[in-house]
Amino acid sequence: MALTIGTQTDSDFGTGVLARARMRAALVPDLLVEAQRIANTVVSGWHGRKRRGSGDSFWQFRPYDVGESMARIDWRRSARDDSVFVRDQEWEAAHTVWVWADNSPSMLYRSEAAAVSKQSRALVLAFALTEVLSRSGERVGWPGVTNPIASRRAAERIAAEISMANPSAEVAFPATEGLRGRSELVIFSDFLEPVDNTIAKINAVARQGIRGTLVHIIDPAEHTFPFRGRTEFRDPETGSTLTFGRAETISSAYINRFRARQDVLAERCRKLGWNHLVHTTDTLASTALVAVHTRLSGMRG
Amino acid sequence: MSLFGLSFAAPALLFGLLALPLIWWLLRLTPPRPREEVFPPTRILAEIEKQEETPANSPWWLTLLRLLMAGLIVLALAEPILNAREDQTSGTGPALIMLDDTWSTGADWDARVVTTQRYLEEFAAAGRPVALAFSSLGARADFTPGAASELQPLVAASEPQPVQPDNLALAASLTASEVAFGTIVLLSSGLNETNAPELMAAITAKSAGEVIVVRAETLTTRALGQLENRPDVLVAPVVRATNGDTAAGTVGAFDRQGRLLGQAPFSFSAGDTVTNAEFALPVELRNDIARVEINGSSTAGAVQLLDERFRRRRVGLIAGGNADRDQPLLSPLYFISNALAPFSDVREADSANVVETVERFLNERISTLVLADIGRIPTAAETQLREWLDNGGTLIRFAGPRLAAAEDDELVPVTLRRGGRSLGGTLTWGTPQKIVSFEADSPFAGIQVPEDVAVTRQVLAEPGIDLRDKTWASLEDGTPLVSAARFGKGTVILFHVTADASWSNLPLSGAFVDMLRRIVAVSNGSVATEQLRSQTVSASAENTDASTTPQAVISLPPLQVLDGSGRLTGPGSDVRPLETGTGTAINVSLENPPGLYGTNDAFAALNLFGENAQLTALSDSDLPAGARTVGYVEAEPFPFRAWLFAAALLLLALDCLAVLWMAGALRLPRFGSAARLRGASVILASMLALPLFLASAPAFAQTASSDANAVIDFENTLKTRIAYVRTGVSSVDAISRKGLTGLTQFIASRTSLEPGPPVAVDISTDELAFYPLLYWPISTDAPLPDSETMARIDAFMKRGGSVLFDTRDQISGGFGSSRLTPETQRLREILATLDIPPLEPVPENHVLTRAFYLLNVFPGRYLDGRLWVETSQREDEQDADRPARAGDGVSSILITANDMAAAWAVEPDGAPSLPIVPPNPTQRVYAYRTGVNIIMYTLTGNYKSDQVHIPALLERLGQ
Repeated sequence: MALTIGTQTDSDFGTGVLARARMRAALVPDLLVEAQRIANTVVSGWHGRKRRGSGDSFWQFRPYDVGESMARIDWRRSARDDSVFVRDQEWEAAHTVWVWADNSPSMLYRSEAAAVSKQSRALVLAFALTEVLSRSGERVGWPGVTNPIASRRAAERIAAEISMANPSAEVAFPATEGLRGRSELVIFSDFLEPVDNTIAKINAVARQGIRGTLVHIIDPAEHTFPFRGRTEFRDPETGSTLTFGRAETISSAYINRFRARQDVLAERCRKLGWNHLVHTTDTLASTALVAVHTRLSGMRG
Repeated sequence: MSLFGLSFAAPALLFGLLALPLIWWLLRLTPPRPREEVFPPTRILAEIEKQEETPANSPWWLTLLRLLMAGLIVLALAEPILNAREDQTSGTGPALIMLDDTWSTGADWDARVVTTQRYLEEFAAAGRPVALAFSSLGARADFTPGAASELQPLVAASEPQPVQPDNLALAASLTASEVAFGTIVLLSSGLNETNAPELMAAITAKSAGEVIVVRAETLTTRALGQLENRPDVLVAPVVRATNGDTAAGTVGAFDRQGRLLGQAPFSFSAGDTVTNAEFALPVELRNDIARVEINGSSTAGAVQLLDERFRRRRVGLIAGGNADRDQPLLSPLYFISNALAPFSDVREADSANVVETVERFLNERISTLVLADIGRIPTAAETQLREWLDNGGTLIRFAGPRLAAAEDDELVPVTLRRGGRSLGGTLTWGTPQKIVSFEADSPFAGIQVPEDVAVTRQVLAEPGIDLRDKTWASLEDGTPLVSAARFGKGTVILFHVTADASWSNLPLSGAFVDMLRRIVAVSNGSVATEQLRSQTVSASAENTDASTTPQAVISLPPLQVLDGSGRLTGPGSDVRPLETGTGTAINVSLENPPGLYGTNDAFAALNLFGENAQLTALSDSDLPAGARTVGYVEAEPFPFRAWLFAAALLLLALDCLAVLWMAGALRLPRFGSAARLRGASVILASMLALPLFLASAPAFAQTASSDANAVIDFENTLKTRIAYVRTGVSSVDAISRKGLTGLTQFIASRTSLEPGPPVAVDISTDELAFYPLLYWPISTDAPLPDSETMARIDAFMKRGGSVLFDTRDQISGGFGSSRLTPETQRLREILATLDIPPLEPVPENHVLTRAFYLLNVFPGRYLDGRLWVETSQREDEQDADRPARAGDGVSSILITANDMAAAWAVEPDGAPSLPIVPPNPTQRVYAYRTGVNIIMYTLTGNYKSDQVHIPALLERLGQ
């Protein structure tokens, strides 16, 4: 019988997270339709080189030049006119995106207002993002686990790697040694480490020329502080406890402090040109996914 | 110690209550256990500077709850007892309990028994010998002391007796005993009965110690005195002992079967001890009253029983001259008998012999005898009549030519002049006289004087000084129309006109009925009862002539007697017959308790109170000197220690719930935290189970289904609904439901009939009587109904229901064709057990073809199948010209193969469910019309066939 608001869940690695991530990813096209209503285009412009080349997307029709392969003639278009036309595709190039989810014990927290733990939500988002990215041909990697993979089944492979590698629970920030320039880094974490540590690491990554996106996963209990009465708080990482006679009296002080941390992080990101997103686990995972996707597409949404 | 009847067996433990403030202090200081919460951002919390650590106190209500619990436990340990028994007596030596068990104790008898038992227990505990004397026993009361424990069963079995106390005998018996009693307890009725001072004196003489008088604090005893049957009301005098404040109540009148006939209120004003309750009931109802009782006062004294004296009168009619049976309106008795018949038993003479008739009437115990124009009464008859009059009979005489001519007639109230007086004739001076008044002191007082009555002839009375007193009604010139005089206990009344309309038109007026009714209503005396007693004895002793020895000792066997609570019961073996005629007054005693004596047809009532009943209360000055007065105890001691413990346990449970709630276990679950939900539900379930254990509620579940059926049946009676047979094949049933829904919508939109939604019936169990039509699609997949079910269908059809069988197989042959389809085969199997009349396809002029729409085909989903109905009877009498057949009622069976429901079926959005074969929309419309016609046909029957005659009928009526 659970008497408390929050609980520490079991680690969610390998237990259906991928399946759920697939589900979220499958929803994304629908979400994109929705997003297209706001921003005219989300997918079509992404990494397009705005020039003729090899790719799948249509770029232009142009008159046939003598000497070109007859196979390139678009007969349907040509039939409408006297001259002969060739169909050009847009040149598209793949991009490298590093996806990483925090796995520290604090991520295992779940309060009664949330459906899943923070870790579960972070993994789902990470895999869903991987799925979406790999579907559009990007190379996706997981720092410390795999190098970037260019495959339609990248999410599956990364999941398998992770469950085999069982990454250390103590790491609160991805290993940045293997990252090379001009790539994207997406971090799903609760960022409960001291803010200065986090900012120092972000600065280090940014210096390598990597563009980053921080997705701040928050449990609703962490930003509403619904505790009342005599309460003993225990830190799941250090195990230290703290007792308050009337938890409700410190509520506003805590909330202010929590917001301030968040704001500091967001301000830093803005200065670096990074994205900072906040996602609470009592909202739908799909909304976060769309938001991340939109940011990666370069839209400020 | 005692407070409000509350006392404690261990009062020292109450000092434990002093510990409550300590408990309160402790409870306030001890903070509740903190709730443990995992919280990842604890590091942030650590950065917040710690505010002063004031422990959250227990909420005040929790503290109060716990203090209450502690207090309850302390109280329970002190063993509180309500109505604790306390020793009342202080004397030594033998004790005497005098228990008054006479008539007035019935109302609170239980309290008397409890009080007596308590004294007995006390004496038994003290080891004192006790004598127990019941005051109703009088001289037979036992004053010998014995063991108290032996007397307890006697007291428990004792009952109040419906008698007056015999205080004189009781006092004598007490004085005669040789024991001096250390304690005398008198459980008094509170009434100062006859000879009470003598009893008190005897008690004072025999007392060697204390005297305790137990009596109720307020005396509410009431009694009914003898009833008085006045002409207009039945008066019941209510008597009380104390002339205290105003008080009110009701008196009820009951017939012999115990049915309530009327209620009459009474109210005492301050200072009164007697008041009257008046039953203003019609005479007919009053005659049926057998028992009058003060409501809510269950004593024998509050009941008055009524006998023949209050009963319906028997009236004998004798007329002079030849009663011409062929011309009843000329018979002098015609008007009298019609006037009296509604409220009395009218006996008419069956022979012309006056002597024989009078003797027979008197033997039949008539109370009133009417002699119409009898001039000369034979001597034998006159002797009998005089004796009867002496006993209270009422003789009504009407004048006439014979009476006017008679010499020396003695049985008239006034001396008459010979010969009648004629008014308004050719040779007379006077004009016809009108009635001017009814005398105020006569029974006729208050009757409206009729304006239209004219007297043309009368017999005249000799003037005398007492003529005025004897006159009940007089004419304008002062001569009497009705005169009356007392003869012994009886009355002779003379109408100075004839009983027929020859001398006056009085017998034709309504006043005549009222006058006779008044006379008969007051004609009681005691003649009926006295005669009854004579008859009773003459029936038992054949050699005794009742009429010649009326003073003989007569013994009436008990019929029903009152018990001490005023209920009529069968007589016990110790009740003896009532001896009358001995010359001594009849006293109510244990041998002759109040009740009914005689036979079931003829009985006399013996009541506890007669005329001028009085009740007086026992005042303090009447009591023996030095007597102590206490009240009765109502209730047994009631220790409620266990209840206090139970309450404390309940509070403990509440405390546990409260603690759990404060720890968060009982908060409403959110976002599907299943474990929390389970936890809360376990607690809720245990809370709900608690009252269940306490009340051990019976299980209601079994009756739920039958109740539901009854509700469905009830709803079905409120609206016309079309029913279909639930075949058990889901596809068929779905089409049936949709089809009948579509048909219902069509009917509601096209006709004034608005049927309820169609209903699926299980023909083996559901009640079918509510449905005019039962649609029965035949499916080979459905099981064949058993014979019992088919018997129900048979009964349904015989009682006027119709069944529409649909084989739905027209496309593969259909019913009535040469090919035998499986559905047709199944239909034949079903119908094999039914009593089916010969069938025919609907003929051209059948009502079905024009019940609402004019139709010549009856399509459903298929077009070609024909609709089969019962062959109309009297085939040979049909003539082709008639527009419709006079079908005698509705065909109980209709058979089609066209799959009607499929054509009618609509989806919820109104679109047809199935296509029509062939796909012709008109055919669907015709299918609906067929359905309407069938429904109209089953609902209206041959009314519709009558309707087609309307032009012809109107033509015949001359339009």
